[in-house]
Amino acid sequence: MILDIERDQRRFKEIVRGRIRENLRKYITHGEMIGRRGKETVSIPIPQLDIPRFRFGDNGSGGVGQGDGEVGDPVGKPGDGPAGAGGAGSEPGSGHLLEVEVDLDELAQMLGDELELPRIEPKGTASITSKKAKYNSIRQTGPESLRHFKRTYLNALRRQISTGTYQPDDPYIVPIKSDKQYRSWNEVPLPEVNAAAVYLMDVSGSMTDEQKQIVRTEAFWIDAWLTKQYKGLETRYIIHDALAKEVDEHTFYHTRESGGTRISSAYKVCAELIEKSFPVSDWNLYIFQFSDGDNWGDDNNQAFELLSEKLMPASNLFCYGQVESPYGSGDFIDALRKQFGEEEKLVLSEIEDREGIYNSIKMFLGKGK
Amino acid sequence: MKLRDHFHSELQAIVGQTNQRITVTEGPRTLRCEVDQCDPMAVALYELVLETDELAHIEVAVLQQASQSLCDRVNYLLEPISPIETDIDGCIIQMRSSPPQQNDAGRFYYELLLRRGGSIALVRYEKQPGAIRTRVAATLTREVLGRLIEDFDATVAEISKN
Repeated sequence: MILDIERDQRRFKEIVRGRIRENLRKYITHGEMIGRRGKETVSIPIPQLDIPRFRFGDNGSGGVGQGDGEVGDPVGKPGDGPAGAGGAGSEPGSGHLLEVEVDLDELAQMLGDELELPRIEPKGTASITSKKAKYNSIRQTGPESLRHFKRTYLNALRRQISTGTYQPDDPYIVPIKSDKQYRSWNEVPLPEVNAAAVYLMDVSGSMTDEQKQIVRTEAFWIDAWLTKQYKGLETRYIIHDALAKEVDEHTFYHTRESGGTRISSAYKVCAELIEKSFPVSDWNLYIFQFSDGDNWGDDNNQAFELLSEKLMPASNLFCYGQVESPYGSGDFIDALRKQFGEEEKLVLSEIEDREGIYNSIKMFLGKGK
Repeated sequence: MKLRDHFHSELQAIVGQTNQRITVTEGPRTLRCEVDQCDPMAVALYELVLETDELAHIEVAVLQQASQSLCDRVNYLLEPISPIETDIDGCIIQMRSSPPQQNDAGRFYYELLLRRGGSIALVRYEKQPGAIRTRVAATLTREVLGRLIEDFDATVAEISKN
């Protein structure tokens, strides 16, 4: 009987997914996946599945013996001899992990199920897929206004040389109908980009490596979820201490700085970025800011001004996550509460430690805006 | 008269009193102290600030170097002090207890700010979960306080030399 290997493979995948779901909270909180992200998939280490195998017993006695013994000597059982130091084993240990590749979308879906996140409804005109004509091909026919002069000329020249009608002393080129080439278009779909996520991270001296790791882990999962919700999500990263700058993903996940904390510097760069790249009418904008909240005292007012005038009106959601530092949670979150009170777009979350990442993501994305 | 001696003689005058302010000046340096309580052995103070215009027009790099040497000197507060942040724009170096003291009563730490302009200031903070940080009185023996003043003095002298 031929076994259906595809059925077995499906079953194996189901088991693997089950294992990932079981351990998803652990993966979320411990950031094992950061830096493991490929183009489309994530490698997840899961404990190796046990494959059933036969174990041989001793059958209650030894086997046939050969050696120096005399007839009538008892044959010892295996393992009866004196204990001695063993050599290194050649078999792999039991702690091996199997790495499985999981699609990011699937992972985000698991996260959504696990955290019971509502599906974010895309909005705005850019979410409508449209096609655009792009002049990127050549045809033999077409209107004269689209005639490709260079190609037509080259064809005519080629023809005249090959037929011997070209005279170098009198280089007169006359294109005929078959020489003519026309520009033509193909319809290309417009990318479905309609949402952008901007991550702002405080990398000042008071943010320890542990805090930065918490931020990066949370940012990774938020990114995974939003990418699932919006095809072609644009992601931008801003880091700041007393000065802010836009950086690439790698820098965001690996940078180390030590300056003072001026949150307004990040807001300023973010506002400029929105103005330049993400017009409010066309974009769903999600801003996620992470800091230990230890802002230099005189900076709060400037930060609040930028937040209320530039960032809040432009964004669907402004999420601020305050990570607790060795000096306790900073005062910025309280200042935000006082200043913006019941502002609907503002979501605040205090992340005490790695275990807090889970609830923080739920708080940020649970609104489904 | 040294700044420390001048300060001690002023301190002597407020023994047994609460909520007092002391200001002493020696040349270009002024020492201000907000005292919560003072007894013959120790002083509970909210803030100790040494102000001087000798720190005007100083480069951040010089301040950073001086903050490190101040942290190395001030090793008698039971909590090691380390530079935490540098505000390049404002030319301020922030130093704190590292790690802060943490117990059932909350988190406590010293914060020292070295500013161009300038000043050196010491404040002790308490941070309770869910509450904003508050300034609390730091209790120092008179001997430790005298040593701290000398170290502030020495730091300013070191910076002025550069």
